[in-house]
Amino acid sequence: MTKETDQLQRRKARFVRGLANSAETMLAGLEENPELPEGMHYFIDIMRDIFVKDQEEHFSNPFCRQDANNRKIIGTYCLMVPEELIYAAGAIPVRLCGGSYEASSIGDEFVPRDTCPVVKASIGFTSLNLISLYQKCDVVIIPTTCDAKRKMGEELSKFTEVWMLEVPHVKESEGSRRQWLEQLYALKKNIEKLTGGRFVCGKIRRRELDSAIKMVGRAQYEARRLYEIRKSFPPVIPGREAMLAINAYSYDTAFEWAKAMTGLNDELEDRRDKGRVVAGSHAPRILLAGSPSIFPNWKIPSLLEEMGAVIVVDESCMGSRYLYDPVGITEKSMTDMMVGIAARYLMPCVCPSFAPNEDRLFRLLQMIEEFNVDGIIYHVLKGCIVYDFELIRVEKIMKEKNIPVLRIETDYSPEDIEQLRTRIEAFVEMLETKKKKIKEG
Amino acid sequence: MTVTKLRWTILIVSFFVLLMGGWIGINLGGFLPTYACPYVGGSRGGVCFLFRLQYLLGNGSPEAFIGLGKHILYFSLLVIIIGKAWCGWICPLGFFQDVLDLIRRKLHMGYIRFPERLRANLGCIKWIFFFIALLIPLWVAHPIFAPAVARDFSQPYCQLCPGKHILPLLLGDTNDVTVNFKSVTTIVMSMLGLIFSVSLIVGAFLKRRFWCSYCPMGLLLSWYRKISFIKLKKDCQKCTMCEACYNVCPLEIEQVFKERENEDVTFPDCTLCLRCVEYCPEDGALRATFLGKTIYRSTSKGFFARQRIIPLVPDD
Ligand code: SF4
Ligand code: SF4
Ligand code: SF4
Ligand code: SF4
Ligand code: SF4
Repeated sequence: MTKETDQLQRRKARFVRGLANSAETMLAGLEENPELPEGMHYFIDIMRDIFVKDQEEHFSNPFCRQDANNRKIIGTYCLMVPEELIYAAGAIPVRLCGGSYEASSIGDEFVPRDTCPVVKASIGFTSLNLISLYQKCDVVIIPTTCDAKRKMGEELSKFTEVWMLEVPHVKESEGSRRQWLEQLYALKKNIEKLTGGRFVCGKIRRRELDSAIKMVGRAQYEARRLYEIRKSFPPVIPGREAMLAINAYSYDTAFEWAKAMTGLNDELEDRRDKGRVVAGSHAPRILLAGSPSIFPNWKIPSLLEEMGAVIVVDESCMGSRYLYDPVGITEKSMTDMMVGIAARYLMPCVCPSFAPNEDRLFRLLQMIEEFNVDGIIYHVLKGCIVYDFELIRVEKIMKEKNIPVLRIETDYSPEDIEQLRTRIEAFVEMLETKKKKIKEG
Repeated sequence: MTVTKLRWTILIVSFFVLLMGGWIGINLGGFLPTYACPYVGGSRGGVCFLFRLQYLLGNGSPEAFIGLGKHILYFSLLVIIIGKAWCGWICPLGFFQDVLDLIRRKLHMGYIRFPERLRANLGCIKWIFFFIALLIPLWVAHPIFAPAVARDFSQPYCQLCPGKHILPLLLGDTNDVTVNFKSVTTIVMSMLGLIFSVSLIVGAFLKRRFWCSYCPMGLLLSWYRKISFIKLKKDCQKCTMCEACYNVCPLEIEQVFKERENEDVTFPDCTLCLRCVEYCPEDGALRATFLGKTIYRSTSKGFFARQRIIPLVPDD
């Protein structure tokens, strides 16, 4: 072994250890909660398999299990890649948006300094193979959403096969909707080619697509049930647990995930009916808006909930929005299913890379009402221009509703934790006093 | 019972009552705002508004003028009560199109959707039909020019109407499915009528409720939408713009999902079939109201049930 590769290996090992440690700390922290629902263990274990045990114990990782079946694995970014098409072709989708500090510091070497940490981490994971998942993907599909993701596609193509999926940015116009549908037909062809299905097996057929839509739909139904449960007052599940459960969908198959989620939801509904709550009615109810928190970057959720607030809802593409909007079809023709899929992945999506994006404001207002939100933490990952841009509008409408908004700009590094703690503490205290005042008079 | 099933039941019952009710003595009057076509003969259970309208306009006598007033009044009352639900729930020709659509769906064939521009341009066809039904009878009554030609123009829209050919045919009566060689006018008109009928059959098989976008009766009914008792309403804040309501709409009405301000989303083409309400995945984003009272609203559960993801609960 040359000196250089030796060094590289050692460097990689250091990062892998760092990642495993920080992930394990988060997971162990969640497990310390004596009130942790039984159903949560499944999701915590998925995360542990992926991030902690990955290097040692290959067979616990769900994707290693899948390997045995010789199914293709397709990596996806953002949430505009139609999983239904992937499942229908007999492949497995896995969402790769990265949330690791260690990976993001590796990614630093490949991209400009002001790139957002999601992209840095994703590149870091792929370039050094910190976890085996990234290497296992036969191909990676990247939608052209924000600038960072778009350019990331180019950089990633140095390491792996990349397909770009062109997402129109002005979604209302009929032309862009038609173009999007055509993109999906093209994607369908490509997936079929990959799964070797130009002839019989692997070709996306009506029946398979229909059952894929139902399978993902089932997962969405459960995700919506969790969403409903989080509305309860006082809350029955801390936000960071609910967010982790949803985040775990990235690394699981829709079928297995839905099964586990059904169990968790049943348990939580039972707790709700019995009045077993996780915080009192005085605890401030927070809407976590803005850039996504992706495991193991559980910085903001942990800080917030340590301070006594509860994240009752979030709007991120890794959280509540991930599985919220279902595919609606009325007949089993290929046309109707493709139209339904195209609609689901474009129209209701309120990713800030779209403009105009008024819909997002409507969604936030609806959340404020439905979830009894007391305040908003507006998370801006450093370099995430699109979310930061929309802050102005969000602040404006929330002022009318008298809902305080706190903007927090940060990345994945642990350096600013103490400073953030002080700011969040002050915000939570302010909300508590406000709540008390309203109650008293 | 689901709304879809209820609608099919009512459509089937109406079909029999309007086209065969005469056999058991049903007569619902001569001003029905739907294609209760008298050309089916004695078995009809009522008469289409357009038939008598053209007759009265073409008559020209003062009595006919008074009759016209009454005719329009009765018609208006019927339309105000349920609006264009006449189209979605009662019209025999609408039912026929739905049956063709059902066959297409069972064959797992896709449907055609016209681009918005084309749709908007074709929208003028129903106006042309409307003016044919309105102006030509007046000319027949007062033939200031070409009186010999005018004679053959009685019931001008009926001569073109697909209802005249298709509905009797459904009862096994082929007498109307011919070219009328009486004069040049009748040859042209009956040929056009046959062409429209064939386009309706082919069109409705490929495109949902194909004819309804060009139907002059539908146009008349749409003028009452602001004052009719049944309305389609939307809660814009709850709507996620998911487009589901557009994709399921047989009339391809885009404005329902795009509406961002107004509550009333009963657009001119809407037949109040309520499919959009059934398939909207958001609780209470869409609803149908009768005199302001909600009679049916969208639910997330209902959506997932109709997608066969969770079992259908009997009460919606
Ligand atoms: S939306 Fe923001 S956080 Fe997400 S990839 Fe783009 S810049 Fe990064
Ligand atoms: S031919 Fe058409 S317009 Fe004339 S009466 Fe029959 S259905 Fe009505
Ligand atoms: S628009 Fe015309 S054809 Fe269609 S349902 Fe209404 S009356 Fe019947
Ligand atoms: S189906 Fe419902 S939520 Fe979706 S766009 Fe239509 S009204 Fe809005
Ligand atoms: S808008 Fe709704 S009720 Fe009206 S025709 Fe379309 S689906 Fe039917």
